[in-house]
Amino acid sequence: MEKINSINLFKAFFKIGLILLGGGYVIVPVIEDILIKKRNWLNSDELINFYCVAQCLPGIVAINTSVLTGYKLYKLKGALIAVFGLCLSPFVSIIIIAKCISYIIKIPFIESIFWGVDVAVIVLIYLALRDIWQKSMTDKFCYIWFFIILFLSFSKINPAILIFISLVLGFSIQKIKENRL
Amino acid sequence: MNNLILLFFEFFKVGLFTFGGGYASLPFLYNMIDTYHWFTHFELTQFIAIAGLTPGPVGLNMATFAGYNTEGIFGSLVASIALIIPMIIITSFVFKLYKKFSQNEYIKTILYVLRPTSCALLTFVGIKLFKNLIIFPKDYLALILALILFLMTFRFPRNPAVYLFGGALFGIFVWFLKALM
Repeated sequence: MEKINSINLFKAFFKIGLILLGGGYVIVPVIEDILIKKRNWLNSDELINFYCVAQCLPGIVAINTSVLTGYKLYKLKGALIAVFGLCLSPFVSIIIIAKCISYIIKIPFIESIFWGVDVAVIVLIYLALRDIWQKSMTDKFCYIWFFIILFLSFSKINPAILIFISLVLGFSIQKIKENRL
Repeated sequence: MNNLILLFFEFFKVGLFTFGGGYASLPFLYNMIDTYHWFTHFELTQFIAIAGLTPGPVGLNMATFAGYNTEGIFGSLVASIALIIPMIIITSFVFKLYKKFSQNEYIKTILYVLRPTSCALLTFVGIKLFKNLIIFPKDYLALILALILFLMTFRFPRNPAVYLFGGALFGIFVWFLKALM
């Protein structure tokens, strides 16, 4: 088993960032391969727990999962190193692509690839939606709230405001429930 | 300079208020188009395609790209860091109490309201992309591709890479057909 220190932790998460493709839940098999099978730093139960908590928190699931894992392995320093390692290679590759995108995009061949990928994103959004749908829509209120928010989104209201309203509403509902008891 | 501060502020908001993974940050990016004109609809679809095809969390890739497009390398640094900061703070904090966290009644009720909100925001983006890519340009090929990929969801339920590369392959195929004609 490789020793857990800053450099090894960075190397491990750098690798994770390098092979993580597609975002979302993909982080689970990737961490499983690199941190559990190859290094034995973690066990699968912990990873699944981290992933579940990460999903409930604001932000990007892959990054939240890495923060939790890094924190578990090496405290706050570990969390910071994990995120830095994870984000480094994607960041650099995006910068390089962004620099030459204006030349690349004019090639009809590449344009055609982008067109196909864009259409695929619609299906990915459908998949992301299907993933959270069952957990989300537990009763009638959920459906009503869903349509209210959908309607408001079409009126170009900032999504942050909609999320904030939901936070306040959730908090108030709980407050009212507790006062009744 | 002013733009950098705005970028920081906007992407901090994205990091703080996105629930449900990378693509859930899309409503925020669409909102930025209307508010700041940092990039166009067409450019945003490019970001989405490249973010999906490049390793790394999709949400982070989109932020890096959008930042670069707005203010160059500094823009991408500011956008990425602003996106990540809330996640590091909140997630590290939650790590310490994460067993209590999932049992807390307030958190449960807030998530109960928040989840349908995320679903609605994602649905909104899905509809928007569907309109922009398929309905408005009356693109029948895109419709066929979307149907094929949709049918694939029954066989390959989860891995996003399958769909992105499927879309890219179909794009190459269409390019080839057009080149022949």
